[in-house]
Amino acid sequence: MTALRRHRALDATWSSRPGFRGWFSTVNHSDLGRMFLATSFFFFLVGGILAMLIRAQLATADSAFAGPEIYSQIFTMHGTIMMFLFAIPTFEGLAIYLLPKMLGTRDLAFPRLTAYGYWCYAFGGTMLLVSLLLGIAPDGGWFMYPPLTGAIYSPGINTDFWLIGITFVEISAICAAVEFTVSILKYRAPGMSLDKMPIFAWYALVTSLMILTGFPPLILGSILLEVERAFGLPFFQADLGGDSLLWQHLFWLFGHPEVYIIFLPAAGVISTILPVMARTTLLGYGWIVASAVALAFLSFGLWVHHMFTTGIPHMGLAFFSAASTLVAVPTGVQVFAWIGTLWKGRPELHLPMLHLLGFFFTFVIGGLTGVMVAVVPFDWQAHDTAFITAHLHYVLFGGFVFPILAGIYYWLPLFTGRTRFFKLGEMAFVLIFLGFHGTFLAMHWVGLMGQRRRIDTYDVETGWSTINLISSVSSFIMAIGLAMVLVDIILHVYVALRGRRDPWKSGTLEWAMMAPPPAYNFASLPRVTSRAPLPDISGLANRLARGEGYLGNRPAVRRETLAVDISSGQPDYLVVYPGNTALPIVFAAVTGLFFLSLLIKFYWLTPLAVLGMMVLALVWVWRLGAREDSGLQEIGHGDRVPMAGETSRSPGWWGSAFLLVANGTFFGSLLFGYAFLWTVAPGWPPSQWLEPSVAETIAVIGGALVAVGAMRIAARHNRRGGRGLSSTVIALMGTLAVAAAIATMLYRMPSAGSHAYAATLFVLGSYVLFHAILCALMQANLFARIVAGYTSPHRRAEFAIVALWADYLAVIAAIGVAAAQIPGMLA
Amino acid sequence: MRDLLRILAPLVLWLASFSAIYGLHGLGCAQGWAQITLGPLTLFRSMMIVAWLFALLAQFALLGGTRTWPFGPQGGFARRTGMLTGWAAVVATLWTLQPVMTTTSCA
Repeated sequence: MTALRRHRALDATWSSRPGFRGWFSTVNHSDLGRMFLATSFFFFLVGGILAMLIRAQLATADSAFAGPEIYSQIFTMHGTIMMFLFAIPTFEGLAIYLLPKMLGTRDLAFPRLTAYGYWCYAFGGTMLLVSLLLGIAPDGGWFMYPPLTGAIYSPGINTDFWLIGITFVEISAICAAVEFTVSILKYRAPGMSLDKMPIFAWYALVTSLMILTGFPPLILGSILLEVERAFGLPFFQADLGGDSLLWQHLFWLFGHPEVYIIFLPAAGVISTILPVMARTTLLGYGWIVASAVALAFLSFGLWVHHMFTTGIPHMGLAFFSAASTLVAVPTGVQVFAWIGTLWKGRPELHLPMLHLLGFFFTFVIGGLTGVMVAVVPFDWQAHDTAFITAHLHYVLFGGFVFPILAGIYYWLPLFTGRTRFFKLGEMAFVLIFLGFHGTFLAMHWVGLMGQRRRIDTYDVETGWSTINLISSVSSFIMAIGLAMVLVDIILHVYVALRGRRDPWKSGTLEWAMMAPPPAYNFASLPRVTSRAPLPDISGLANRLARGEGYLGNRPAVRRETLAVDISSGQPDYLVVYPGNTALPIVFAAVTGLFFLSLLIKFYWLTPLAVLGMMVLALVWVWRLGAREDSGLQEIGHGDRVPMAGETSRSPGWWGSAFLLVANGTFFGSLLFGYAFLWTVAPGWPPSQWLEPSVAETIAVIGGALVAVGAMRIAARHNRRGGRGLSSTVIALMGTLAVAAAIATMLYRMPSAGSHAYAATLFVLGSYVLFHAILCALMQANLFARIVAGYTSPHRRAEFAIVALWADYLAVIAAIGVAAAQIPGMLA
Repeated sequence: MRDLLRILAPLVLWLASFSAIYGLHGLGCAQGWAQITLGPLTLFRSMMIVAWLFALLAQFALLGGTRTWPFGPQGGFARRTGMLTGWAAVVATLWTLQPVMTTTSCA
């Protein structure tokens, strides 16, 4: 088959539907990456306009531009949009678009999940925008501290928009994180061992693991605060055993890693682009990987540094102050590795390089002011002043926006297949750079003079007027620069001339394909032998197009790719992807209905939406798998591998495993909250404990053990040629026993509104009950799949997945029942 | 997966010990351990120092263990990177938890 015929055949199989209908049914990563990026930059525009309104308000003393109510909505939505609707989704969009191409594969691990994540993001973001347009946007600041945001002081719907809308959007981040983790570990070109992965993939992997463990505390906090607001369960009310500091802990357990979740992908962009701009290779690959990992973990030990003024004892403050200073070390290792890369190469001053220099200058200043605020006595002086606002903008704009702009200009030829013609970008950079520093350098100054953050106005006597005017004028200069970038990109997309492949002479695989890339990325998959396959394998792109790589000999009738061994990168199994479908957008819409019903308090709609989600989830999984064994598949180069469904560690198993990491973090955060309230909150112990019940305890632990054991026996029966039906039924019975016992316990509990103890116990019990029901549904579905012929001794993947969830249920049920019953026994 | 675990494990251990010792600090202050003397030290400080030493010991044990079971050498890259993260975790344990020796307890 010629390269052209192969292209046409693959294109017919992989392309999305033509026209705008294709947007709603595409599951292709290139389409969805572009959609993510376009949407996130739309939100950047909205957030930027809000920033201009803030600066217009503060440009002069005693401003009457906006009243305090509207101004509070403006700054809250500015922060919220930039953090949740721009920064994280931009990383998601870039990674969705680039990762499969860089890793030498054809798509991400779960294409329908990518689409579902996008639509959750789009619908959740729209929900927040609607609140802004209606003048009922969140107004409690982007970190939403109670008691200000509790039902007493914020009775309107504004706060609910934030809590529910952001939780909806975070589904997207969790989906993407699971997707990236599994894709990076399993979906790579054959031969691409861990040490040959492109450095961006390492950063994306670390970031994804951080999202999986960083976002659940905030999701938990949002749920608790919303439940308190809607139903009066007192998690944060001091008079009923709650503590508003619990919110701060949960929020900053997310919030501080969030800064690094934003920075690390940008660092990945820098580590990718900088060596290309310097015409050399990256210095200290292993050191950079270790530094990124260290940075990620250390960032989880800093959360209390946002709480230095809350009265925490000195020893506690010192722990977090020490951790906050230490985090500068791995950051410094990366910066010095980049400087070393520049030193050993021959840097060329292309436009991406200008933005990288902008990054260096800005981020280092932001890092240094970060060390300043890590020191407790200084933080006590600067806390909640404009100095902090300036510092965080130096870190986030310097550490994210400049590298992303560098990335846009670097990968623009890949996105469009065109070469830059207009030179607006250089002028735009100058305006952005000068405008940014004019805005935020001045803000440091006025912050040190005592201007608090988030104030809507100030008196002339403060002496802040001139500095604020300089800051505001500079911000408009920066805005003009960013608008010029937008114009430059639009001109490039529609007017610029066709360019050649790999204009930067890069070494990574995303350049070994047509530009713009076809839907299938590679006509055949490369065999990778180094970190820079392009210069190492002569004529690689053409050889892959001719079908000389892996899967080049396969008929192009299904969407196929290879999964590899995590460490060595050797081919592991063959994966068949689902085709275009509207299921993700429908699922996201029904998920949105669930959140909307909670927001507008149409609680009768909530169970209907849950039912809808259950049905759609069953349709989702039912369409997967096969009713016949396929055996080993020829993949080229003399290699044969099984199908994914004929292994124990299928993509679904890996996806479940990493989803359970996030889930476990959520559960751990809940236990932390329980312990925190118990030890720190006023008004403990409660007046009434849950009466201990031996029968419930035995039913929960016994049922969970039966479910775990029976699932293992079912899997063994299946492997030995049986069907495992009876064992699956026994496992189901065990799970239902857990559910029944937990439901009884919930029924017997003291009123959940009476005290934080009962409220926390109620959430803990509900969490276990939810998982018991979920696990029962999975086991029932497995039973139906066995009956329908979807399993065999070879097709065994589904047993392993359900067994994993049963194991998880057993762990949380045992801990949950112990946490609920033991205090009553001791009392 | 073992290679990846080898790289992540030391810092997972640091995070776990850091969080646990911070939790112990909260518990000790709430239970009034700082008021109970135990020889030259208070019960609170003794517990904190012992916990810190355990955390350090665990880090060194893991550092040694990365050469043998269950993180035995497979790829050179993972071994080298694992050693780097291992030493980073040792330094982090030493530095971030040294306040157990140097600062006031529950004030």
